[in-house]
This record gives sequence, structure tokens and C-alpha cells, in this order.
Amino acid sequence: MRQPWLLSVRLLWRNLRGGELTILAVSVVLAVAVVTAIAVFADRMDHSLKQQSHAYLAADRQVSSRFPMPDHWFTQANQFDLQQSRIIEFGSMVFAGEEMTLASVKAVAEGYPLRGQLEVSQIPFATAAQMQVTTAIPAPGEVWVESSLLPMMGLALGDSLWIGEQSFTIKQVLMYEPDGNRGISMTGPRVLMNIADVPATGVIQPGSRISYLWLLAGEEDNLERFKEWLEPELGEHYRWRTVEESERRLGGALNRGKSFLMLAAMIGVLLAGVAIAMASQQFARVNQDAVALFKSLGSPSGQVRFLYFGQLLCLGVLATLLGLAAGEVLHRFIAQSIGALFNVTLVGASLQPYVIGFFAGLVCLLCFALPPIWPLPNLPPIRILRSDVELAAANPWLRGGLGVLAIMVLIGVYSLDLKLTLTVMAGLFAVTLLAALLGFVLLKSSRQLGSRAGSIWRLAIANLLRNGQHSLTQLVVFATAIMLLQVLYLVRTSLIDEWRLQLPDDAPNHFILNMSANESSAIKSRFEADHYFISPLYPMVLGRLVAHNDHHYQEEDRGKSNTLRRELNLSWTAELPADNRIEAGQWWPEWQGEGYGVSVEEFTAGELGLSVGDKLQFSLGGLELSATVASIRSVDWNAMTPNFYFLFSPGALENYSPTYMTSATIPTSDKQFITELIRDYPTIVVIEVDRIIERIKSIVDQVSQGVGLVLWVVLMGGVLVLVAAVNASMQARLHETSIIRALGSSRRKLVGSLWLEFSLLGFLAGLMAVIGTESILWSLRVFVFELQGSFHWQMWIAGPLLATLFIGLLGALACRRVVVVPPALVLRELQS
Amino acid sequence: MHIIEVSNLAKRVALAGNELTILSDIVFTITQGTSVAIIGASGSGKSTLLALLAGLDVPTTGQVYLAGQDITALDEDGRAAVRAERIGFVFQSFQLLPSLTSLENVMLPLELHGRADPEARAWDYLQRVGLEHRLEHYPKQLSGGEQQRVAIARAFASEPQILFADEPTGNLDSKTGANIIELLFELNQQQGTTLVLVTHEQRLADRCDRQITLEAGRIIADVQLSPVAVVAEGTQ
Repeated sequence: MRQPWLLSVRLLWRNLRGGELTILAVSVVLAVAVVTAIAVFADRMDHSLKQQSHAYLAADRQVSSRFPMPDHWFTQANQFDLQQSRIIEFGSMVFAGEEMTLASVKAVAEGYPLRGQLEVSQIPFATAAQMQVTTAIPAPGEVWVESSLLPMMGLALGDSLWIGEQSFTIKQVLMYEPDGNRGISMTGPRVLMNIADVPATGVIQPGSRISYLWLLAGEEDNLERFKEWLEPELGEHYRWRTVEESERRLGGALNRGKSFLMLAAMIGVLLAGVAIAMASQQFARVNQDAVALFKSLGSPSGQVRFLYFGQLLCLGVLATLLGLAAGEVLHRFIAQSIGALFNVTLVGASLQPYVIGFFAGLVCLLCFALPPIWPLPNLPPIRILRSDVELAAANPWLRGGLGVLAIMVLIGVYSLDLKLTLTVMAGLFAVTLLAALLGFVLLKSSRQLGSRAGSIWRLAIANLLRNGQHSLTQLVVFATAIMLLQVLYLVRTSLIDEWRLQLPDDAPNHFILNMSANESSAIKSRFEADHYFISPLYPMVLGRLVAHNDHHYQEEDRGKSNTLRRELNLSWTAELPADNRIEAGQWWPEWQGEGYGVSVEEFTAGELGLSVGDKLQFSLGGLELSATVASIRSVDWNAMTPNFYFLFSPGALENYSPTYMTSATIPTSDKQFITELIRDYPTIVVIEVDRIIERIKSIVDQVSQGVGLVLWVVLMGGVLVLVAAVNASMQARLHETSIIRALGSSRRKLVGSLWLEFSLLGFLAGLMAVIGTESILWSLRVFVFELQGSFHWQMWIAGPLLATLFIGLLGALACRRVVVVPPALVLRELQS
Repeated sequence: MHIIEVSNLAKRVALAGNELTILSDIVFTITQGTSVAIIGASGSGKSTLLALLAGLDVPTTGQVYLAGQDITALDEDGRAAVRAERIGFVFQSFQLLPSLTSLENVMLPLELHGRADPEARAWDYLQRVGLEHRLEHYPKQLSGGEQQRVAIARAFASEPQILFADEPTGNLDSKTGANIIELLFELNQQQGTTLVLVTHEQRLADRCDRQITLEAGRIIADVQLSPVAVVAEGTQ
């Protein structure tokens, strides 16, 4: 053979034209399309969510310090093509006539915020409809203030407010700042001003407590390269901050969303692999005669191998390229519909998902399509004379192993999440085994059923049993596909429910702080009079952590840690808060240490290197307090309830004149209530968290929508598998039904039996899928998403029912040719 | 000259623990350019013998020499090389590839063996079998007789020394079968091919120079019907 490649290509073209390779080609195209679409979409989604979450920094990256940034950094950042802005934050007394209060002043430069948006209003405590988004910042001479400052000081818009030596006009009410999530602090209401006015106020003196923030945004690559340049310059006084460390609360939702998308992509890959394997099996089967012919014509095995593998490779490359294009179109469609419907702006994708899509195609082809074709060249040439000589199937262990390897490689590249991969793989393995076993028993027992049933039933069941091996394969494939889809659907639903549950509509939407012991009962009864919900009161004392075991923290330690730098809100309680969990050590009264015990939040403990049994020393308004670390606690930051980094054993803080805090639910329609409350108790601090809750909800909604669309894309993969499975049995079916029709069976009866046969397959597959789904879900929830296991009774009804209907319909539709085409034609075609 | 020599050929297979003898004590030679019919009842071992002669299967004992070469001593690839060089086939079920047109089906062995100008040659042979108007048709668009003509064109196009035919008229009605027989012998005559065919159609067997009759895996009759044919001297 002089031009073996040319002949391969020519044969490929002829096979494609003749329809021999259509199913395989379409499978690969659709597989790559599904994988690419999900990968690209997930990538864009990921980028968009990241960008969205960057709003919480008001930038992509921040550098924070107690000192101003050196000027040459700014010039350097320009060279890296980065957008920049600056913030100076400080606490200061603000004055208006006789009134004064401590405010948290934030001076911002042009460009702020680089990510996210400011929202303002002309009315204090405005509702969402009364707020406007703005891209501006306060002009020099202006300030924008938080709602609570106005009633507190008896001010209105247009009045003057003094900060230090400078007077400002109150121009707007500041309703929302993307990076305004300061946690619970005592620094008072926010006042936003222009950075250019800071020198004139004269409040910045040597030794004053000031935070300098430098905001950066730009291309990820540039940011990373800039970080490399900057890192050696940072020293101990400057900190590089990313969104991950700044926003744990959102991080949880983001990571789960990402895990889900990975799961979806993985299931997409699996479904695609199954479809390809089935189509390829079919291709190998119909090509046995061709191979026998090649061999009788004198082609050695090597040549046959070259011809077929060559075809496969060319097909793979072609179909993969087509699939990439189709995936791109598909994802655009998804992105557009999501964009239009939900007002989400997706950022562009990187090249990586396309590369993944391309490799997914080739790996699928090599690991799923090649094994069935692999033994083809070894077909004995005698097959040309004796059609009963069948191809010895490739070692099933080898084939299974290759499939598993492919999935591992793909998923590895895709998600880099070993735990997720292993959980799903193990579940899948067990379920396939179980399905095969169970299917065998069910098929056997349907024989009894069939013998007592009417003739259509008998025909259907006889059909299932006659092709026992094939029925079993179809059953396992159907069950696996349905199971994967169910897993995906339910994981999505329960994830979204979980998120929503964490933020119920009646969740406390305000924090009230700084109540004195005698005010607290009066305030409480005021809430009760209006039937507004108010949580139990937590005592609170401000204090600093000054020593850990024998180490007294120094200035350089404080430079590195936020926890050490600022005053901490310390509290005590006898009951462990509902959303807290002990990770190490013991809660009281089990804790039997000497003196006072303290329970530390786990991230804080990690940051400071604290472990159970360590001695800590706090300074509370000049008084010393020693305590032993009794436990390390995890805290659910998703819940909008008061939480503390340090919780002491009861009584520890009683002598340090605590103030009280609580959370409460005040309807958004009754902002007047807050105004009056602040007027009557000017020293209390009210923090509105309802807007933060709203933000998080809207992000959760966006993630949910994206996740839902991904589900539909994967569903297409599932349908593809079902079609491939039905198609694989088409030839045999055509033959059989033609004979039955030739023998005089009515068309109606045949359609009925076909429908029944597939419905029965669907029902059994649905049943097995439900069992598998429940077990996979359980392990996914427990091991990967770290939620509680749950039972889905609806699925036990809907799963088998929908599978029966869908597969019955699909089978009857796909097989309609066998009852429509005249039997004589079919028999002649098959003979030739 | 003997193009085929068979000595002590036997084929036994294990079936459910027992050894089943399909062929035994087969000894004969075939002179180049003659036509030989292997006849016998169903299950007498005709097709197995054909498979062994063509190197599609291996005997349990004995040797088959094709043009002096012991093909039973060769491995599968060696036998494939012999088939490529010397052998053509016509099958009962035609064995045309459904996705290829008539022309492409005939071109296939020529392409596989890297022969020069496969298309022109395929065209030429399709013309000889009277199918020049059916070049672009697919097998399923052709009648059974036409399909077998394509198969015959394919077999002769690579100009084999030996043509094996397995029940070549088995799937055809008697009139079409008669036409196919005519065509087969005509081309055989033109090219001086040695023709070995398996049939249980007496009409076809009667056209051959010699009839070897099998029964239960043994040769029970070997009848020479016409004087040893001489290699045809060119075509008319």
C-alpha cells in the first residue's frame, strides 16, 4: 500500500457518506460539544463569580497597611496595566453643632470602587426602589453618610458636618458600599469623603490609627506578575489581600457552586464516554464483515489495523473540531439566555476550556472508541464464509480499566478535585455492579410475569429475554445515565435550597450593639410591643489579645494580623450557638480546665497558631484577663447571626462592665422604627444587614440559574446515550420485527410490544437509578459538600415513572422505522 | 503444472468435549487453468475445504500447496500475502461493502494492494460484467444478480491465479444464476484463471472440467468431465 493514510481517509469518507460512522461521529461531536460548552460556560461563570466576589474587595486585589504606599509602587502598577484607586480609613469624632459622635470615616480616590458599585439615596433607610447606583464618589467638600448618622445627630441632607478642622455638606445617604462588610464593629456609622480633603481635616497625626488601602484591578496575569514584583517590597507592614481570604462567607457558596459545575462536567464526560463506547461497539460489530473481506482479499492484520485506527483518528480530529465549534455555539446560547433573562454579565472565557474540550474528544475516542475496535484486525478471515464466527471481545477488564483511566484523566484535568472524583467513581462502580446484578434478577423474574400476561406483553418480554445480554447492557446504560442526571438535578436543587435555608426571608436583618445593661431591657420590650423578632442578648466586652503562652505580642506581630491589631468583641455564653460546632477540645461544662476557658473560632486559631490547652492573655480596658483555650469552634458564616471569634466560659467577663448586642428582624417598611430607636438611645449602634443578605441572595440566584442551564446541557448528553443505546440494537430489531411482520403480526401489536419493551426497560432502569442516586447523593452530601444526608421520596416515584415514559417514547420513536418500512425491503437490505 | 496440491488434509474441531471430524484424508491436485466443482450435501465439508484451500482457515493436519508454496506452514499474515497475490473470491452473499458504490467496491482490493490506476481498471471490469451504467450505485440499489456481477468484477479485477467461489448462485433465482454462471466461465476463460467452486447446483457443477464429491468429510468421487483444459490463449 503506497499511500495508507490516503486510503484511510478515503475509507473514512466513504463510511461517513454511507452512514456507517454517523452515530459514532455524532456521538463524538455531541460529546465534545457538551464538554466544551460546560467547560467554557463553567469557566466564564467562574470568572464572573470571581469578579462579582471581587466587588467585596472593591477590587481584584488589595494592599493594606497602617502606612501610606510608597509612590513608586503606583508608577510600577501603571506599567503592569493595572487600574488603581486608594482608600484611607480612620475612626474620628464628627460634629454638628452641639452633637458629636464617633464615625468610621472612609476617604476614597477617583475610580473607587474598581469592582462593584456604590448605591445612594436621598432618604435615610431607603428601600431598594428608592436607591440609585452611582459611579461617582463624593466631590471635594461633600460627604455621604450612612442612614443612622442622620437621626443620631438630628441632621438632614444639605446640613453641615465637621470632620476635624473641616466642614462638609451632607450630599447623599450612603446605602451600599461593595466593600462595606466590616463585620460588627464599634467604630460608628460610615462617613464617605473625598481623599483630597483628608489633609484639610488635620485628623491624620503621627500615631493615629489609620488604614491605608490600595485597590488594584486588571488582567489576572498582570496581577500575578505584579504580585511577584511587589512581594519582596511588601515587608512586614504591607499585606497583599485576595478575595479568598477576605470573604469566607461568599467563598463557601462559590466553592459549592464550582464543585457542582465540576460534577456536571464530569457527568457530561461520563455520559459522552458511554455514548461513544456504545456507538463504537456498534461500528465494530457492523464492520466485522468488512474486515473479513479485507482479510480474504489479502490484507494483513497490520494493514487492517492501520486502516481502522487511521479512520478513527481522522474521525476523532474532525469530530472534535466540529464539536468545539458546536460547543462554542451552545455555550453562547446558554450565556445569552442567562444574560438576557437574569441580567448577568459574563466575562470572556480563557483558552483552557477549549483545550480541555479538544483533549476530552481525543481521550474519549482513544479510551472509549478504540477498545471495541481494537480486536477487529484479529478477526479470523474464515468469518467471510461463516457468519457465526464472532469477534473475540477485548478483555473487559482492560476495556473497563481504560474507561476508568480516561475518566480519571479527564476529571483530573477538569476539576483537580480528587475527593469529588473518587466519590463519584466509587459510587458509579458500585451502582453499575448493583444494576447488572439487580437487572439480571429482574429480567429473570419478568419471565414469570410474561407467561401470565397478554400477547403484547409476552412479545415484549420475550424480546427482552431473548436478547438477555443486550437488554442487560441497555439496562445498565439507561440506569447509569438516569442516575447521573438525577444526581445532578438533586444536588442542584438541594444546594439551592440549602443556600436559601441559610438565608430565610425572616432572618434577622439588623444587628443592635452597644446597649448598656439598663437600656437593654427597655429596648427589648420596645421590640416586643411591635411584635418584632429579637434574639437573645449577648454580653460584649472590647479587648485585645496581648499574649499567647509565654509570647507577648509585639508591634511586628500586630502588623501581620488583623486579629491582633484591632480590638476584639469578646463574649461569653453557656450554650453553644446553634450554627457553631466544636472541632477540637470541649465545650463547658465538660471542659475541666483551671480558671477561665475560651473557645476560639477555627480560622482565627489557625491564623494565630492556637491550640487547645494554650494560655491566652487579654487586655480589657487596661485590665488583664488570662484564659485557657478550651475548644476550637467552626462557625457558619453563611448564617446572619451574631458570631464571635472568642467565646469565654460563663462569668469570665462579668466584672468588665459589658455592653449588650443582639440581632433583630425589622421589616424594611418600618425604617421609622430604627430612626426613633436611635434618637431615643443615641449611644446604641444599629447595623443594617438586610442589604448584605439581599446581595448574597442575588448571587445565589445567579449561581442557581447557571447551574440549572448546565443541567440541561448535560441532559442532552443523557439523551444522546439513550439514543446510541437504542440505535445499537436497531439492526437486530429491524431483522426480527420484519420476520414477525412477514409472519403476519399486526403493526399495532408490534408498536405496542416495542413501546412496552422500552417502557419496561425504562421502569427497571429508573428503579435501579433511584437506588444508585440515593446512595451517591448521600456520599456526595456527606463527603464532598459537607451537608447532611437526606432522603428524597419524590424521586422514588418520579424517577421510575419518568424513565418509563421517556424511554418508552424514545424507544418507540427510534424504532418506528422497523414497523414502517416494508418487511421485504428490510429483509433484502439485511441480506445484502 | 499443479497450481493446488493437497496432501493428507484433515480438519477436526472440539465440540462439547467430543472431537468432530469435518474433513479427513483429503488428497488431490488441481491443474492450473482448470475449473473444479466441489459438490456434496449440506454439512459434507465443502465450505471448510474451500476455506482451507484459500488459507482462510488452518487444517488440523496435512498441507496445502498453492503454486508450490506450503501455505499451511505460513502464519496468518503470510497466508494473507498469498491471498493478496494469487487468490480471488466470489461469495454466496456477495460480500459487498454497503457504504461503497459499485465502482468503489471493485476498486477496494486494487487500492488495498496499491495497484496502479485502480479506478480505470475497476471501470474496465464493471464494463466487462455489463454494469457500466451502475458505477455510482450502492449495493442496496442493485438487484441480487447485479450485486454478484459487481462481486465478480471485483474478483477478476485483481487478476488472480485462482478464483474461489462459494455457492456463487446460491442467493439468485435460476435465470439470474444462469447468467452469472455464463459470466463467471467467460471471464475465467479469458483470463486463464483456475476456478474452484463449491456448489450444490448440478447445472453449475456440470460446466466444470472436474467434480470432486464430498460426503461426511471424505472424497467419495473425483470425476474428470473434460480433457484437461489448456490455458486460454488470449481473449477474443
